[in-house]
Amino acid sequence: MHANEQALSVTAIDVAEPRAVFEGIEKLLTPEGEAKAFWRLRWWSMRTVIRQTLVRTGFQLSIVVFLSSILWVGLFFLFADGFLFLKNTVPADLHMDVIEVMYGVFFVTLMVMLAFSTGIILYGSLFRAPDVAWMLTLPVRPERVFLFKYQEAVALSSWAFLLLGSPMLLAFGVVEESPWFYFVMMPLFLIFFTHIPGALGGIICLGLVYRLARRPKVALMIGVGALLAAIFGMVWLFKDALAQQTLAPEWFQQIFSRLQFTQHRLLPSWWLSGGLLEAGLGNGQESLMFLCLIAANALFFRQLAVWTAAAIFRGAYARSQARSGPTRRVRTSWLDKTLWSLSGFLPGQVRILLLKDFRLFRRDPVQWTQFLIFFGLLLLYFLNIRRFTYETYYQGWVNMVSLLNLTVVALLLATFTTRFIFPMISLEGRNFWILGLLPVRRETILWSKFLFASLGALLPCCGLILLSDGMLGVSPGIIASHQLTCVSLCLGLSGLAVGLGATIPSFREQSPAKIAAGFGGTLNLILSTVLIVILLVLGALPTHLLLGSWTPGGSSLVELHPQLGPFIRSWWLLGQLATPVVGLAFAGIPLSTGIYAFRRIEF
Amino acid sequence: MISLKGVTREFGTNVAVDSLDLEIPRGELFAFLGPNGAGKTTTIKMMVGLLRPTKGSIFIGGYDVTTQFRACAQLIGYVPDQPFLYEKLSGLEFLQFVAEIRGMSREQADRAIAEQTERFGLSGFLKDLMETYSHGMRQRMVFAAALLHDPPVLIVDEPMVGLDPRSTRLVKDLLRQRADRGGCIFMSIHTLSIAEEIADRIGIIHRGKLVFLGTLEQLRRELAAAESSLEALFLQLTMEEEAALAGSANAAQSGPKGHP
Repeated sequence: MHANEQALSVTAIDVAEPRAVFEGIEKLLTPEGEAKAFWRLRWWSMRTVIRQTLVRTGFQLSIVVFLSSILWVGLFFLFADGFLFLKNTVPADLHMDVIEVMYGVFFVTLMVMLAFSTGIILYGSLFRAPDVAWMLTLPVRPERVFLFKYQEAVALSSWAFLLLGSPMLLAFGVVEESPWFYFVMMPLFLIFFTHIPGALGGIICLGLVYRLARRPKVALMIGVGALLAAIFGMVWLFKDALAQQTLAPEWFQQIFSRLQFTQHRLLPSWWLSGGLLEAGLGNGQESLMFLCLIAANALFFRQLAVWTAAAIFRGAYARSQARSGPTRRVRTSWLDKTLWSLSGFLPGQVRILLLKDFRLFRRDPVQWTQFLIFFGLLLLYFLNIRRFTYETYYQGWVNMVSLLNLTVVALLLATFTTRFIFPMISLEGRNFWILGLLPVRRETILWSKFLFASLGALLPCCGLILLSDGMLGVSPGIIASHQLTCVSLCLGLSGLAVGLGATIPSFREQSPAKIAAGFGGTLNLILSTVLIVILLVLGALPTHLLLGSWTPGGSSLVELHPQLGPFIRSWWLLGQLATPVVGLAFAGIPLSTGIYAFRRIEF
Repeated sequence: MISLKGVTREFGTNVAVDSLDLEIPRGELFAFLGPNGAGKTTTIKMMVGLLRPTKGSIFIGGYDVTTQFRACAQLIGYVPDQPFLYEKLSGLEFLQFVAEIRGMSREQADRAIAEQTERFGLSGFLKDLMETYSHGMRQRMVFAAALLHDPPVLIVDEPMVGLDPRSTRLVKDLLRQRADRGGCIFMSIHTLSIAEEIADRIGIIHRGKLVFLGTLEQLRRELAAAESSLEALFLQLTMEEEAALAGSANAAQSGPKGHP
């Protein structure tokens, strides 16, 4: 018998007709044969993607590599500085304890995040991807299909971990002057470790779909329950510590004692942190023991995931395709009516297009949940900002934090306009037979999208900045300047995303995430960052230098250094005048090029 | 060769396929007809193992689809209504992968690939990435992949969508020839004239129930319409079913209110 072939053994069944003898039945592949075929498939696909990326999007790739390198080097020096600070300031017997707790928290968090992200990625790739439906009609084992997707999911969910974790671990090794084997063992530790939460995420994903695919309400209740449990857990973890004065010795003790659970000996994250610390300090035998422990568990959990897939993946897939419920009927929501009433001053066609985009937004949970989660987290943070009483130690923190809060809101908005506004025109292209046949001028479509993005950005962003400034108690002058900067940012970022989206659309791509991750999306994100930097330097920074208090007595920088007064005042004045001009220019120029390009696009 | 025994598929409270019994022997080209949403694609998805019957069993060549799927899959060539192709593979790489998964040796694979791509006019495009293929080329590539291992059972869902007249003729001839050579063909189709032209037997499914099973002549006899086309017969049958269902629904509604 051929190495790749095996006879199929079948148990007796109540057959409808005698089993026919077919040559093909004898040719079913062994697991090794299947693995070989699937690895070849991956290699062929990857080879084409790499070749195309290098040829077609070399510029984009260079930018991504360049920015990632800057981020990586920046993180390396940041961590190196942190480890050096700990080494020099914390007593020798305590500083490794501090690092151990820090590693424990980092790796526990990472383990949970990796399990979640692998599970979520696997859900999308196993139960929603069209290639799986095709693979499952082939004579392959279901566990092979699972493994094919599992490998992708682990790689996708852990690359960010490797990008962010590696500079920290390297910095530790450099600062502690670790032996050579620390640097050799480090990648092995990380690679084996990712499979433990990855495989657990896969098993949980398969189990949940198998058990709950037909009961979406139960799945939702479990999800809400898990979220509430996590919130209560966090509250329990830090409630005593928050009652203490922040950064005081008692606060540290409370935090340390509550984080002791991250050092539990049965946690794989502790094996990782323990092994890395031992290797870093030169204890080769101990670290090798931890490496073997992690590798053995990684293989075990991976095998467990394969067995689970063999047992339930095909059934889970069938159940996931069979979900049904009552037909979802949509009605005009009060939100639609409110928008319709408020937009009464706009031309009729713009109002209709605005309402259409709003309906698409509110009926797409991916968009509004991300919007709610990120802006909701910022809202919670701003509401609780007074709990951190840093002014006890540093008077200028109010000044600094209010400026940083403005920056965070701006960067978050830039991410949203890139992810959700930039792809809108590209996605419209697929439906252009609808809009293209309507008596609507093409520029009206762009103006309506600009209005949609601007209105959607102005309300939450200006509201959040107002809340942050109010909670921090900054002066009215700073509040006014922040609002001016925020309005200019909202208009500029919205115009940029709509204009660039129309100038360099991607009609072939159907996934908004892939459109945003393409060349146009990357360029939009870079230009958005440039706009944020310009507006912060022009408008917000001189306001803080001129009006913010930097000492316990409330003195501004100009009062402390009168010789800088004329320069900062001129900077401030010019900045306030230039801020709306720059914001409008960043909106107007891309919009006009977008309108020009959009008029000429052939669909 | 294909055997469905009391197959029922429920989606919640909706019965998509209701107690379907069907036997399709070797050498038969069976056309499965029905209005949109009648249960045709659900039946096919159960036959190729993507869905499991709520009740009943499906056998392909004597093997149970649910418990002995790999053996069944090896006997089946499947052309779905919305075919999937790896955009980043060339046609040749795709076919080589399918051949390898089907357990074909290198020589068998090379021979089968040459034969099928020649038949479907794809020989000149084998080294092109499939992302560059037109809709018709994709459809022909899916046919080539499904026939690569010369399966005894061919299941096709809407096979003519996107094909030009020449390719349509080619596929019609191919399906007929395979059935004549002893193959078993299960074809779901909306184009009634094609079913009329090439099918040996017809099954009409409506709201999950098989409302007719037999030859075109039997259908004509049943509806007492000697010269009618399949289209006219299909419309007559499905409208009669609609009227019967509406009548029973009205009776059920009026009953409790005391109307006669």
